[in-house]
Amino acid sequence: MIETLIDKQDNFEIIRDQVAAILALEVANQQTLATAALKDPNLWKLRIYIERANPWEAFLHPTIDESPLVNVWYENTDFDLSSSNVGERQRARGILNIDIYGYGKSANNPAGGHKAGDELAALNCQRGLRLVRNILMAAEYTYLGLRGVVTGRMPQSIRFFQPEQDNRAVQNIVASRLALAVSFNEYSPQVVLNTLEFISIDVIRAEDGEILIEADYDFTP
Amino acid sequence: MTGLRDLVQKDLGFIMETDKAGARWPITVTDPSGAASTGLYGLSGDISQVIDPDTGQIISGRLATVSIRISALSALGLGIPQGIEDNTKKPWIVTFNDINGNSFTFKVAQSSPDRGIGFVNCTLEQYTP
Repeated sequence: MIETLIDKQDNFEIIRDQVAAILALEVANQQTLATAALKDPNLWKLRIYIERANPWEAFLHPTIDESPLVNVWYENTDFDLSSSNVGERQRARGILNIDIYGYGKSANNPAGGHKAGDELAALNCQRGLRLVRNILMAAEYTYLGLRGVVTGRMPQSIRFFQPEQDNRAVQNIVASRLALAVSFNEYSPQVVLNTLEFISIDVIRAEDGEILIEADYDFTP
Repeated sequence: MTGLRDLVQKDLGFIMETDKAGARWPITVTDPSGAASTGLYGLSGDISQVIDPDTGQIISGRLATVSIRISALSALGLGIPQGIEDNTKKPWIVTFNDINGNSFTFKVAQSSPDRGIGFVNCTLEQYTP
């Protein structure tokens, strides 16, 4: 039996939460920097979620925040047997999917014509994706702030998703996915051994080259 | 002699525009030049739907449509609404109330005219006038 309560997060969970925390922190920081640079900080705003099934619900209602939504969710882990050991450590390579949802609403353009919602949705999605990739691949986050746990991260792919076109929805949405591969170690519970005896051993090389060992056994008879 | 299509057209007018059938709904259509309809009736719908953006996560969406007789539009000097993709031009605009009296404005995203029996079905998208 395992004698200790497994009351911890695995590293893949810690990494997922850390990616979301980095994005939330840096997006707030980018907004501050944009304000200081006299630019519209809303263009640097993203709303960050983890493992959410329906963040899009927010876009359904009339009074909404139209900034892009980001959903960080964990997809899979592959283990490398050659770099692992059977006792304690499993060398892992995980894929985190970072989905970015862009929203666009058609609007009158007072200067003439109109702003097309589908184009706005794609541009908003790509703006969010640009921010996410630049933040996660910045030199400051080579190890995602988890040096000792994470040994590397690299984007695997970027894909865009078009919503269903046959029954066109009132709202325009475009989604993209950045798949981020992260290398790390997972650890498992270990047997905690009881100390039976302490043994002290001295290894001595004699003048003639012979190796001598002197052992002390400290025990209570 | 009245043909079958003539009969369908007459029935369409009865169903979509008279208060006897109970289905008509006041709709305002504005063409790209800014000419707006008055006293126009048709059928309208504004419902929620489920969308799969292929991310593996189903999302909630909203679908709005109107159906109007082509002859009713012609009588008001309007053409058949259509989706305008060119953003240097004004789109066709459709405005109608929901059942609780809240007004919503939409852009015509796609139109499917049935010239055989004389009506057009428009798929709409949200629009800020």
